[in-house]
Amino acid sequence: MEEIMFSLNSVWLVLGALLVILMQGGFILLEAGSTRMKNAGHIAGKTVFTFGLASIVFWAVGYGFIFGGNSNFFIGLSDFFYSGEQADGMPYSTAAFFLFQLAFAGISLTIAFGGFAERAKLSAYLVFAILFSVIVYPVVAHWIWGGGWLAEHGKQDFAGSTVVHLTGAMAAFAATILLKPRIGKFNKNGTSNNIFGHNQVYTALGVIVLWVGWFGFNGGSTFVVDDGFFGFVALNTNLAAGAGAVAALIISWMVLGKSDIPTILNGALAGLVAITASCAFVETWAAVLIGFVAGILVFYSVKFFDRLKVDDPIYALSVHGAAGVWGTLSTGLFATPELATVGKPGLFYGGGFSQLGVQAMGVSVSALYAFVVSFALLYAMKKVMKGLRVSEEEEIIGLDVSEHGNYGYPEAFITNEEKNRIAN
Amino acid sequence: MSYTSIKEWRDSEWNRHDQSSHALNAFHDEIMKKVFDTAFETCGAPPCRYSWFVMGSAGRFEQAIISDQDHGLIYETDSEEARQYFMKFGKELADGLNEVGYPYCDGNVMSSNSVWCKSKSKWNEQLTHWLKEESFESIRFLLIFYDARVLKGEKEYIAELKQTVHDYIKKNPHFLERLLENTQHVKKAVGFFHQFLTETHGSHAGSIDLKQSGFFPYVNNIRLLAMKESIDATSTLSRIEELTRLLNYQQELNWCAAEFEKLLHYRLQYHKKMTENYDDIHYLNIKELSKDERKDMKQILLNGQKLQDYTQSVIKGTIHR
Repeated sequence: MEEIMFSLNSVWLVLGALLVILMQGGFILLEAGSTRMKNAGHIAGKTVFTFGLASIVFWAVGYGFIFGGNSNFFIGLSDFFYSGEQADGMPYSTAAFFLFQLAFAGISLTIAFGGFAERAKLSAYLVFAILFSVIVYPVVAHWIWGGGWLAEHGKQDFAGSTVVHLTGAMAAFAATILLKPRIGKFNKNGTSNNIFGHNQVYTALGVIVLWVGWFGFNGGSTFVVDDGFFGFVALNTNLAAGAGAVAALIISWMVLGKSDIPTILNGALAGLVAITASCAFVETWAAVLIGFVAGILVFYSVKFFDRLKVDDPIYALSVHGAAGVWGTLSTGLFATPELATVGKPGLFYGGGFSQLGVQAMGVSVSALYAFVVSFALLYAMKKVMKGLRVSEEEEIIGLDVSEHGNYGYPEAFITNEEKNRIAN
Repeated sequence: MSYTSIKEWRDSEWNRHDQSSHALNAFHDEIMKKVFDTAFETCGAPPCRYSWFVMGSAGRFEQAIISDQDHGLIYETDSEEARQYFMKFGKELADGLNEVGYPYCDGNVMSSNSVWCKSKSKWNEQLTHWLKEESFESIRFLLIFYDARVLKGEKEYIAELKQTVHDYIKKNPHFLERLLENTQHVKKAVGFFHQFLTETHGSHAGSIDLKQSGFFPYVNNIRLLAMKESIDATSTLSRIEELTRLLNYQQELNWCAAEFEKLLHYRLQYHKKMTENYDDIHYLNIKELSKDERKDMKQILLNGQKLQDYTQSVIKGTIHR
């Protein structure tokens, strides 16, 4: 029986990893759809490339830093260059667990790169992929999931509203500040322009791919299939996403007088990000409420960053940052005594303010760490690499050509002369 | 008088005529008539009688300080000679108006376009075609034409053509519903919380589109009611006046004229302060209004929505049957 469960758990973890890795495809569609044609090929290509790079770094040091033994305050210090060896007493394949965790590290990095969109040099992606995967992500993950000090406080973050989403968003925030807005985003009189994405259908497909992938992200985070608890987690996940989309539509209609599609899409994603921390700890009605609040929050957050003149082309700060904070705090409100296997029940279930306090502390410290360290790393890169950003000319012709020498949509940019030459 | 000297005269006389919308529009008429005279001199004597009319805001006697040109020609004799003369004349008029400060019409509603420059008999054919075709474009043309006001030449040509429209509507009342559909989409400017729905992005951020959200509901719905009641007047205010003389509308529209006058007034006051750029002229920045003015403006916009709902029920026959 134990052997069967071991196998089933391992299958479930690998399936989860597959779904989470597929989310990279969702991000490609989301980011490319929300930006301009001239950068589409670059966005698709860099996502695959940086995930590849992050995989190798995770194998070499990331995994060891998060889950290794002999740990200090920041990181663990064993299991580098992971051999695939089975850990004693683990009820599933350690290699499957490794793969699952690698997929998460990759998602956090891709979120961070949302803040780079349409203006960063390819070399900046390369260097920061390594630095983020070595220095930023593993520390927060170790604190909360690797038995670090926040884990000891009973910080609840089931699948990573803080660890994965907020950490990525904070790095994205540092990047948007240092990179500055895209050419043409803000006017001299302080108003901002809409730089429309080139394909709303891509963006929506991206959201759906992410939505489905999230069942691996949250459901897979049960690690084991015993008593089918992952089904409940998946249910909560779906409810929050739905509520987020509905709330976003309602608020955009009430405030803007129209049903704005980017807002609806952001609402679904914000619901997903928010429920990531709490999906295993709250009842279904709370999942609906958490998603609903996230859908409204993301709308105002987008407006807020726009007013701050922070150019966030794919809304990473609002979707993954603001909703990540809310999701992490939400379990301090709604965690039930039966479901709170980690930490204590929330404020509305007689737990008082203690869990909410732990959540607030955890989210603040993690956010601060991720922001400060990312900012310092990017600042140093900016000095050493003589800028993180492509030249004005390169930005205008597009990163497809400037960074890769080929357009993602060649026929859209080819001159008539070339067209004729090919035809003849 | 050359176009250049008309322009100079216009620029120097300007501030003597911008006290009210009425004065401003009388001045516009004077300028456009001067342009006509100059074009007339340039092209020589016409081969037959004719009528030159303006449409759009000029036709409705509601032009802002800057507005583009909308005009057409009707000539009596259906001959090749007349056609050639008036097409040339139409082009001269459009160029002259442009030189004096009325930008060319984006939609090409100008006497230089053969659609808007025709003999009387051809005009009648075209109008009948528009009425019968009921396509998006023909309905748009018909609505534009309905604001035609004669500036020079024979007055009765337009009246006769409009009679064709009135007769058709009398016989085919459903046609009004088709016209209604064409003007139903209004850009909302007041939202769920009674807040202004201003532009969120771009150079007009913080502004509302006064033309689309403010003027259109009044202009379009009053025009439609005027068509239903065969009213020849072209300005929105005089259309309202004539409508309120009819028993059915007395109660429902008695507030309307005051609101529309306020709208004209706000636009004029606002335009005096701004730079002359035709792209910007339709936008009103809410921040430039005082607290009371904002309240007032909000009420005007909400009443525009009310008028829209009212017109809809009148046209669909749910009341006044």
